[in-house]
Amino acid sequence: MGIWDLIIVQPMINALIALSGYLFNSLGLSIILLTVIVNGLMLRLTQKQLKASKAMQEVQPKLAELQKKHPKDKQKLAQEQMKMYKESGMSPAGCLVPMLIQMPIWIALYQSIMRLVAVIPENFLSLSQYLYSWPIVYSTLPLGNSFLWLNLARGDMLLALLVGGTMWMQQKMVMPATADPKQQAQGKMMLWMMPMMFALFTLSFPSGLALFWVTSNVIRIVIQYFATGWGGLVGAAAQKRVIRDKKYKRRIAQVEEASLDEADIGADITEPSSAQEEGLSYEESGGKRQDRGGGTPTRLRAIRRRPRRSKGHRPKRR
Amino acid sequence: MWIRHNRVWLGKGLLLLVILLLCGITALGCIGIKSTPEGGSGGAVANGVLYLCPILKSAGGMGCAAPATEAKLVAVNTSGSYLWDVLLETSKPAGGMGCAAPTSSAAIYGTPAINVEEGLVYVGSYNGKIYAINASSGALRWVYPRQGNLQPIAGGAEVALGKVYIGSSDGKLYALDAATGDEEWEFQTGDKIWSTPAIDGDTLYIGSFDKKLYALSAIDGSKKWEFETEGAIISTPLIYDNSVYVGSFDRYFYAIDATDGSLIWKFKAENWFWARPVVCNNTIYAGCLDGRVYALNIKNGDKVAEFDLGSPISSSPVSVGSSIIVASEEGKVYSIDTGNNQKRELKDLEAKVYAPLCFSNGVVYIYANDQTLYALNVQTGVSLWSLPVTGK
Repeated sequence: MGIWDLIIVQPMINALIALSGYLFNSLGLSIILLTVIVNGLMLRLTQKQLKASKAMQEVQPKLAELQKKHPKDKQKLAQEQMKMYKESGMSPAGCLVPMLIQMPIWIALYQSIMRLVAVIPENFLSLSQYLYSWPIVYSTLPLGNSFLWLNLARGDMLLALLVGGTMWMQQKMVMPATADPKQQAQGKMMLWMMPMMFALFTLSFPSGLALFWVTSNVIRIVIQYFATGWGGLVGAAAQKRVIRDKKYKRRIAQVEEASLDEADIGADITEPSSAQEEGLSYEESGGKRQDRGGGTPTRLRAIRRRPRRSKGHRPKRR
Repeated sequence: MWIRHNRVWLGKGLLLLVILLLCGITALGCIGIKSTPEGGSGGAVANGVLYLCPILKSAGGMGCAAPATEAKLVAVNTSGSYLWDVLLETSKPAGGMGCAAPTSSAAIYGTPAINVEEGLVYVGSYNGKIYAINASSGALRWVYPRQGNLQPIAGGAEVALGKVYIGSSDGKLYALDAATGDEEWEFQTGDKIWSTPAIDGDTLYIGSFDKKLYALSAIDGSKKWEFETEGAIISTPLIYDNSVYVGSFDRYFYAIDATDGSLIWKFKAENWFWARPVVCNNTIYAGCLDGRVYALNIKNGDKVAEFDLGSPISSSPVSVGSSIIVASEEGKVYSIDTGNNQKRELKDLEAKVYAPLCFSNGVVYIYANDQTLYALNVQTGVSLWSLPVTGK
């Protein structure tokens, strides 16, 4: 027996059997309990990671301010950003650490399940070499491979959807809001890619392993909720509103541009632009307005002065 | 500037790392564990012909997805020449990445059962089919069930009273007409049956994963008695002098009264009993997965001797005159002299041995995990011949 088997697989196999012995001989329940234990042991690490995520969300407005403050001095901007990250205790690799730690557990769990549920005689035969001499281990075996609607040795479509769904939800809660389009695209890709890949794995791996994933996701969602609330899940609705407003502003800008050609532009009009009204940067609100220097056509002023953007209300165009 | 660039690269690096990690799960998860059954039976000899089913050893890709393999029954002349083989089924590779349990595989674990009167050889496959093949030509006589499949069959068949008896992972023991394959009766146990039945007179004995040993009427399948242990029973029972001897996964070896199923004695070892025991000179020799062969007094279960072979014993030994021939998982073949209880190494095959040994006319036949059939002289251990027998 190699070192891997000795320190990871063997304890896990015996722990699962012993837990099953106390949990109605149910391997499914013992996997869930094992997940709770593993997540309990990693609680401090998870909390640290959640704090970092929260910090990431909190510094986003400050980052935007920094960008505004140092639009040309990139070095200064970078220094300031670095300083800010350091102060807030953020670590971009933070989210991967729990995954890295759990990797050996996943692999060991897969190997344990394949042996425990007597899928094929070869694996079941080899199980005998992994058993401690605890009486409960010998009296509990063999374990059944049924749990709820699942065959723990085979992949399952519904469980794949659950794994994908809970992982998406958890990722969405953790995902920091960012103004950087590059980071937004990257975040979006991660948000969808990871759940999809894990859902695919669920179909190919024994359900017992996926049961670990889905339980782990649910635990992390609960921890996340108590630590930071719904996070990005609620933020998603707000972000939608921001995107919609951007579109709206862009449309106004287009109308303005079109009317500039026709209308007489009054130099004395100094009404603030829509972007300034909302405290957004020019870059965010469509870019070119800063240099235009012109005013707003009279017929558009009426539109601006109307109360807007409450509960998704869109002003009617006249 | 450099930090901004670094952040972009860091982001990409993290993404790449995640992908590598996920791929790593697949690769590493499959290493060190088999996801598809390979099978490989022991041999059975009749009329100078040895029948066995080869191991379907194959690996593709990362070792997860197994390509299609063919389950065969092979007939070999006891002089070492290949006679014929018959294709029983083609195993389909498992879906996806092949790391989950396969849905169908035609691997065969049980030693073929020979019906000399009918001239048929019977095997049960892990794909849930039972085949009857003409012992001379290899032509398929019948298959059960004719449509669909049973749950995986991991044990061997037994022939008696014009019937074939075989257990399945659905927990049922099936009794089929030996000539036609029609079902005569079935008996439901509480869990999987991976054990090969043993028959004495009109009583059949079979162990189950439900931790019980059943004694059934071989004629109509009615239960005579049951004996409950603390562990699953995979080992084939030995019937001798109105007693049943069987090992269990609770680490105990039991002697049970064949008449009423009462316990006579039990002996505790260090691990599971997988192999069928043998009897010689009023002593039971039971190979255990703790790597020892226990010599037990047949009357009271007292340990007469134990022989440490260094690795688990899953291959059933054979009794040859006053000697026991036994192979350890590591491939070392020993002869135990039952007169003085001394062991000597006959041969190191340098290949793992899981399949039961087979003895005929002074030669022991061992099908090892290197897909080679070895014929050894039981006295000297000299290899008479070896023949590659593969599933392709």
